[in-house]
Amino acid sequence: MKEILLKTENLSKSFSNGGAMQHVLKNINLQLYKGDFTVIMGASGAGKSTLLYALSGMDTPTLGSITFGDQVISGLSPDALAVFRRNHCGFVFQQIYLIDGMSVMDNVLSAGLLVNKGKKALASRAAELFAAVGLSEETQRKFPAQLSGGEAQRAGIVRALINSPEILFADEPTGALNSKTGLDVLNTLTAFHEQGQSVVMVTHDMRSARRGNRILYLKDGDILGECSLGSYVSGDSARHEKLSAFLREMGW
Amino acid sequence: MTKYLLIARSNLRKTKGQTASMIVLILLAAFMLNLWLMLSMDYKANFDRYHTALNAEDVTLSVNADAPGLHDLLRQTLEADDRVAQYCLDPCMHMSGNLPYNGGTMTCWFVFLEKQAALTRSIGRIEIIEDSAYTSGVYLPLIYKTDDIAVGNPIEITIGNHRMTYTVCGFFNSIMMGSNNCTLTEMVFTQDQYAVLAQGGYAPEALLCSVRLKDRTENLSYEAALKNTVSGQYPNIIMMSNCYDNVTQARYISQMICSGIMSAMAFFVLLIALVMLVSNIVNYIQVNMKNLGVLKAAGYTSGQLILTLLLQFSCLTFGAAIAGAGASYSLFPAVNTMMTAQTGIPYAIRFLPLPLLLTLGILSGTVALAVWLAARRIRKIEPICALRSGIRTHNFRRNPIPLADTGLPLNPALALKTTLSGIRNNVTICITMLVLSLVVVFSGLMTENVIADMTPFLNLIGGEIADSCISVRREAEEDFLEEMLADERVEKVYLYTTLSVAHVDGAQLMATMCDDFSASNNPNSVFQGRFPRYDNEIAIAAKYAGEKDLRIGDEIEITANGVQEAYLICGFTQVSNNLGKDCLLTRTGYERLGTLTDTSYYLNLAPECDIDTFNREVNGKFAQNINTTINIRTTVESAAGIYVSLMTIIVIAVLVLSAIIIAFVLYLLVRTMLNNKYRDYGIMKALGFTTRQLIVQTALSFMPTAVLSTIIGLILCSLIINPLTALFLNGIGIVKCTFIVPAGFIAAAGCGLVLFAFAMACLLSLKIRKITPKALLTGE
Repeated sequence: MKEILLKTENLSKSFSNGGAMQHVLKNINLQLYKGDFTVIMGASGAGKSTLLYALSGMDTPTLGSITFGDQVISGLSPDALAVFRRNHCGFVFQQIYLIDGMSVMDNVLSAGLLVNKGKKALASRAAELFAAVGLSEETQRKFPAQLSGGEAQRAGIVRALINSPEILFADEPTGALNSKTGLDVLNTLTAFHEQGQSVVMVTHDMRSARRGNRILYLKDGDILGECSLGSYVSGDSARHEKLSAFLREMGW
Repeated sequence: MTKYLLIARSNLRKTKGQTASMIVLILLAAFMLNLWLMLSMDYKANFDRYHTALNAEDVTLSVNADAPGLHDLLRQTLEADDRVAQYCLDPCMHMSGNLPYNGGTMTCWFVFLEKQAALTRSIGRIEIIEDSAYTSGVYLPLIYKTDDIAVGNPIEITIGNHRMTYTVCGFFNSIMMGSNNCTLTEMVFTQDQYAVLAQGGYAPEALLCSVRLKDRTENLSYEAALKNTVSGQYPNIIMMSNCYDNVTQARYISQMICSGIMSAMAFFVLLIALVMLVSNIVNYIQVNMKNLGVLKAAGYTSGQLILTLLLQFSCLTFGAAIAGAGASYSLFPAVNTMMTAQTGIPYAIRFLPLPLLLTLGILSGTVALAVWLAARRIRKIEPICALRSGIRTHNFRRNPIPLADTGLPLNPALALKTTLSGIRNNVTICITMLVLSLVVVFSGLMTENVIADMTPFLNLIGGEIADSCISVRREAEEDFLEEMLADERVEKVYLYTTLSVAHVDGAQLMATMCDDFSASNNPNSVFQGRFPRYDNEIAIAAKYAGEKDLRIGDEIEITANGVQEAYLICGFTQVSNNLGKDCLLTRTGYERLGTLTDTSYYLNLAPECDIDTFNREVNGKFAQNINTTINIRTTVESAAGIYVSLMTIIVIAVLVLSAIIIAFVLYLLVRTMLNNKYRDYGIMKALGFTTRQLIVQTALSFMPTAVLSTIIGLILCSLIINPLTALFLNGIGIVKCTFIVPAGFIAAAGCGLVLFAFAMACLLSLKIRKITPKALLTGE
């Protein structure tokens, strides 16, 4: 039996759009498990990113609850949510969002030092992660504007993982990258998942989705279907077929 | 033109807050500039307008009328002198005396005139400003009008040794004798009271000689020459005089100090506004790089884009300057009331176009220059480069405070990073804090030396301070001294008497005589060289020495009572009593020119001794042999009280102004920083930074520069404040200022300034609450 990491009950999110209410998420009941690589797919405007923001504590739901472990996070204040995010979550963004004025190392340490770990332990964790993603010491000293897209995203992954988060949220992590660098980033995420990292990734790219072991398909603010693929194995055509069939069924 | 307006409107829409703050700073600068220009350009002109309207004299001489042939001598002298344009000789009475004023006692040399005679003099007539139906009493110069001294109230005036009570019938404006610091103070009685005074013999009959010169610039030398002529014929005659230059300076000291401080503050605010403006434009170019690229790609030239900014800021400045200058008229009545109380000359507020034009010119000119200098870099922007997110301005070669190496906690380290990467912010804060440090040091200096305890101020401007001054007739001098030395209440008694002498080919100087200056209470009145010890030595006012290019060791010719002698300059003094036209002589030194008729003695009394009671006792004991007794403490406190209230108002005003300036500067800086770092703060919030951490981080980022520049500013200003104050007070003869610089007060006020800046920065950073990580992700 898998351990539940995060669950939602009747999660709803609505926005006011010129006076009319737009219901982006509708009564979503969902459980995310520890060690899973969960992929959220759906057409544009289905509510994928809104669901990711709500799950990660970046946004608050209109109705319903989100529970992380034993803690209900849906009612927390913005600052309490910030503390929750720093302690339990890591983020990889489509636009990468490294801070321009800081070197790569400082970008990573600014997130790491927030959790008040010892500096030595932090430096050793950073070195380990940089080695794992293949960023040299010279690159660590560079500023974001001096990096290639792939390097920047890998630096973003290091920053996201520096605090050993229980869950890593990735929003279209390859969306702004070319296919080769995108593949590098996916390989990196897969490698960390294989080491036990729980990942929740939003994507509309099938190549990215293949990396997940659990696929959720969102349509009009509701989870339309779910597919379990098992662990990722490179070049496994049966796994690919299963995903394709699921997506066809969902109307992809 | 429409295209410029469209771009300007778009710019303004994007920077509403910063534009509003800019307008407020310019408005504040215009407010103070206009007020300063009105004060400095029209107040002295107002004196001249009244001088002409009342046909006032250039030189006034009040001289005892009992000498035979004096009237004829004066008439012949005046008529024979082709420098004289017009003169009049009127009978009057004169005597030293005092009246209660401003919580103390004001001692003056009074010139008493009958009301009708004072109103109808051909030269130097008075103008009644406030009249009443009272038919018996006294009219006083307007400067004495206070809550206590009002029409209908009784007033006790001491004339010589006689205390009289009069009803205040009204107040008048007298140009040359309408203030306590003009040497002569006019006092006008109704016919009956004048007769009582004359019959009582309380004051000797005198001749009031008023002279208008063909060339007013000769007033100083003419005053000296006239007195010398009289004293040459009548060596022991009692006479007092004043002249145009001394009176104008004396009556406008407060206005001069006030407008000097106001001008300094106006230019400080303008400087800060210009620094902020330049910073805003540079920031605008950086933030709007893409838009500028688009406009250039669309065919706009650099000149057109610069012109747009020039138009935008010139229009704003013009509007704000008009509003600020207009607002200055709302405060002008209050300032005018304060100034009139100091000058004693009524001033009718009216619209003054020249100060307004100058205010508009100075502000528009400096703003246009600053905009042009800051906006010139638009010329360097290539459209292609700008469209690709613009020119990178971050210095990639340097990473200040690497987090891996620093020992600082995270938030201060990040704040320090922001500090070190924001040169423009640092320059702005540095200039602001340096200016405000000067304000703090000045306020500390004035609080310590004027408001809290005025002794240092009195020592500086008043020269010698003791408890009592008793003027004794020469024939009773020995008995008096014997009595005083035997009285156990008297701690010290020493000769300290002042008479008029003249520097040959120079001005009239007030000469103070002492047997032994080393026994006097204020050893600082000679600040360079030493006091005179021998009968051929003289210490003269440094201001006068500067004007005449005299140095220590030079020999000068001094004349009095028709005798001329040479003296060696042994030191420089600075006493403001005669606006820098003073000298010190030993008694034997003076007696080379003539004998002392009246001798004034200064007395230090035991702390438990009541000065007024003591003076009354001495008066009773020596009766006719005492000319006058003065309670010096209450007299100087009364005179200095004017400066104390003025300084209190100025200190409060500059401190409030400083708070406003710092609030606006920080508002502009914080708003600009939040605009620039909006994305960074969104990312940081997503990573788990709380709003409080980011607010403290933002506020802290201003602190290193603020603290450093405040420390440097306070130290620097503490070192220069005395010379700077001396510069301000140069008009009244002060060359070297020795005020105590209150280190504790300044340090505490500096801490307060920095803490206030930190609190303001935190308060202004509250906008960070509105930055959400979700807004960043959804591109809001």
